[in-house]
Amino acid sequence: MSLLRLLLLVLFTLAPTLALAYDVLLLQSMHDKGYDEAVRGFKRDYRGSVRRIVLTDYAELDLTRITREEHPKLIIAVGDRALELAQKQHAAPVLYMMALNAKPRRSAVGVSMLLDPAKYLSVLEELGCDRVGVLYDPARSGAYVKRALALAARTRVRLVLREVHAAKETPAMLASLKGKVDALWMLPDATAVSPVSTEAYFLFSQAERVPVITFAEVYLSMGGAVALTIDRNDIGRQLAELAQNVLDGNQPEDGGDPPRRMVMRTNEGVVRQLRLNPLVGR
Amino acid sequence: MRRKKLRLPPYAKSFQFRLYLIFTGTIALLTAAFVTFYVLTELNAYRSNMEREGRLLATVLAQNARLPLFAENREALGILAEGTARYPSVLSVSIVDRERRLLAQQVKTKTVDADVIDMQVPISSPSGVLSPESALLGQSQGNEQRVIGEVHLKLDTTGARERLVTLVAASLGIGTLFWILVSLLCYQILKRVTSSFNLLLGGIEKIGNGTLSARVGLDGDDELGRAANAINAMAASLELRELENQALQDELLRAMRLEVQEEKKLVMARLIQTNKMTSLGLLLSSMAHEINNPNASIRFSGHMIGKMLGDALPLLDGVWQEEGEFYLGGVPYQRARQVLTENAGKIVENSERIAQVVQGLRDYGVGGGGQLRQRLEINSAVSAALSVLACQMKRDVQLHTSLAISIPAIAGSQQQIEQVLINLILNAMQSCAGRNGEVHLGTRHDAARGEVVVEVRDNGVGIAPETMERLFEPFYSTKLDLGGSGLGLYISQFIVSEHGGRLQLHSALGKGTVATVVLPVAPVSVVGVLATQHGQHSADPLHQVR
Repeated sequence: MSLLRLLLLVLFTLAPTLALAYDVLLLQSMHDKGYDEAVRGFKRDYRGSVRRIVLTDYAELDLTRITREEHPKLIIAVGDRALELAQKQHAAPVLYMMALNAKPRRSAVGVSMLLDPAKYLSVLEELGCDRVGVLYDPARSGAYVKRALALAARTRVRLVLREVHAAKETPAMLASLKGKVDALWMLPDATAVSPVSTEAYFLFSQAERVPVITFAEVYLSMGGAVALTIDRNDIGRQLAELAQNVLDGNQPEDGGDPPRRMVMRTNEGVVRQLRLNPLVGR
Repeated sequence: MRRKKLRLPPYAKSFQFRLYLIFTGTIALLTAAFVTFYVLTELNAYRSNMEREGRLLATVLAQNARLPLFAENREALGILAEGTARYPSVLSVSIVDRERRLLAQQVKTKTVDADVIDMQVPISSPSGVLSPESALLGQSQGNEQRVIGEVHLKLDTTGARERLVTLVAASLGIGTLFWILVSLLCYQILKRVTSSFNLLLGGIEKIGNGTLSARVGLDGDDELGRAANAINAMAASLELRELENQALQDELLRAMRLEVQEEKKLVMARLIQTNKMTSLGLLLSSMAHEINNPNASIRFSGHMIGKMLGDALPLLDGVWQEEGEFYLGGVPYQRARQVLTENAGKIVENSERIAQVVQGLRDYGVGGGGQLRQRLEINSAVSAALSVLACQMKRDVQLHTSLAISIPAIAGSQQQIEQVLINLILNAMQSCAGRNGEVHLGTRHDAARGEVVVEVRDNGVGIAPETMERLFEPFYSTKLDLGGSGLGLYISQFIVSEHGGRLQLHSALGKGTVATVVLPVAPVSVVGVLATQHGQHSADPLHQVR
């Protein structure tokens, strides 16, 4: 009888511990379709145990206590807020995805939301656009533009850059590109592309009859010619591979990897009107 | 207070005029209502269009100014405001940012009319535009708009007022023209429609005025046509009745004319009769005068003969006594003495009777009705009549008298009654001419009826029915060739009726005739009961009294 009591005590004591035992703590900034897609991709390829916490489900989340008590081997941050929160603890390594604007305290490893500039340059080259206007905020997209410039140097595409430090400068900067560009490359830069100034790109495109190469399919309906968008599910799968490598003891390279897969969409009407070279095989 | 009644001219009472008035009034009201409705609708539409135009302008300006406003590009905003202000109805344009700071303004005129449309349209960020991160996350486009400024637009509505004036003038003109045209059309239609009424009315008036041959010349199977047919049928019926009435009147007139002619004939006959009677009266007077003179001489001679005979008889008696029987005129004295005495008396008596008869004729001729109220005993009248007729008696006719006793007296003229009785007895005797006849004369008293009845019955030839009807006509006689005057029964009936009685004749052809004279009994105060008379009449020894 006493043995039975002892067994029951052990069982009740260990049961929560057994239930909370996992390898990866997945911190998700909020419930969002894009995040969910990426998480589904991650879970699809990652076979280990995962605990998922959506930050917006909690008024205040004590991540330090969680990591101390639960000892996750890896923290996956989904979104800017989750990344910021994850970097506040030091108990577990952090991988991120779907974080566009976060300013990490230290170098972080993950999958970026920015496609490789080479893909854009390739499409621009294919469209026959030599002079490509780019508006960007150096603070946000300086590195990306720098890389793009470097890659553009190897192509016939010449980037005409305009720095934008405030959203309201966008129309004027665009105006300054009149007659100087054959295409506009819209970067996912929150300063250069604000909800108010977004239509300035397309008005410019209409007025100057130059295509706008953008980063999201939603802009095609506003007048964009080609959209090179990320595959959020594939980003999750890509990060799952990266996480598996980290858990396997491999040291990942610092910085964010660009998404390995892109989805290209075109607005055929705009392409036809602007008499651009048709994009095939994409 | 008595209200003065509005007097309408005659044409205003016509059905056509009233209908026309109603139609034109209704059309005028409808036209006015339509014009008012049209003007108001047009004005509201114009104002609404203006507001819509202003809102459209402001919206377009707000759309266009979105980026310049976001970029705080005052120059671009100014150009946009100037462009908008070029519209004629725009008075002023101003663009302000979210903090109500004026970024651009264009004012055409400072005069602010009270009737100015003030438009305020917010300048909003475009909806459905996402941030780059949201776009990358594939979030759906929202429709949330953020107001970043405002466009103020003032529109001039003087155009609306001018348009109102123009619209009212045009509408009134068109409405009046329409009213005139429709009124003319109505007049023509009503004229055509009411012509049927006029035809109907004219026909009815003609028929009502008595021209029953008039007809309502309306064709058609509508209500008026049926009414016209009914009136025509009624007029035809009335005409037929009128013709029938006319025929009846003509017939009546003819009958009246005939009656008048008959009456005239009767009057003429009476006049002729009167004339004849007058002539007869004159004749009788003349005859009486001519008879009276010799009769007076005869009576005087009779008196003288009687007187001288009275003186001579004693002498002759003395002679007879002395000398015995002797003859006078071939007759023995004693017989002669008796005959002389009687004949002398008869001469005087008959002479006096002749005088009375002549006097009676004279009285009758000169209308001696004044003796009608004399006391008369019917039996004495019968006796007197028989005396007159004594010399007329025929041998083959037997006269029987049956005079009742205690017959009350009647009031009347004895001579006239005698005249009646003489006529009746003569007629009875004449009806028995050529055969052995009997004439019964009787009197009686019908106490129950208060009448005295004299009956003359014969067994003569009787009277034919066709003669019976004309017996009492004057100068009608079946014995004109035998000297009849045709006045006997006529005068007799006249006399009897003058005495309040009646003369009745009953006859059977071949069997005889009964003539009855019925006379009313005189009141007791007038007459007394007469003594009974019996026996044979003194004038005629053949007369027998039962």
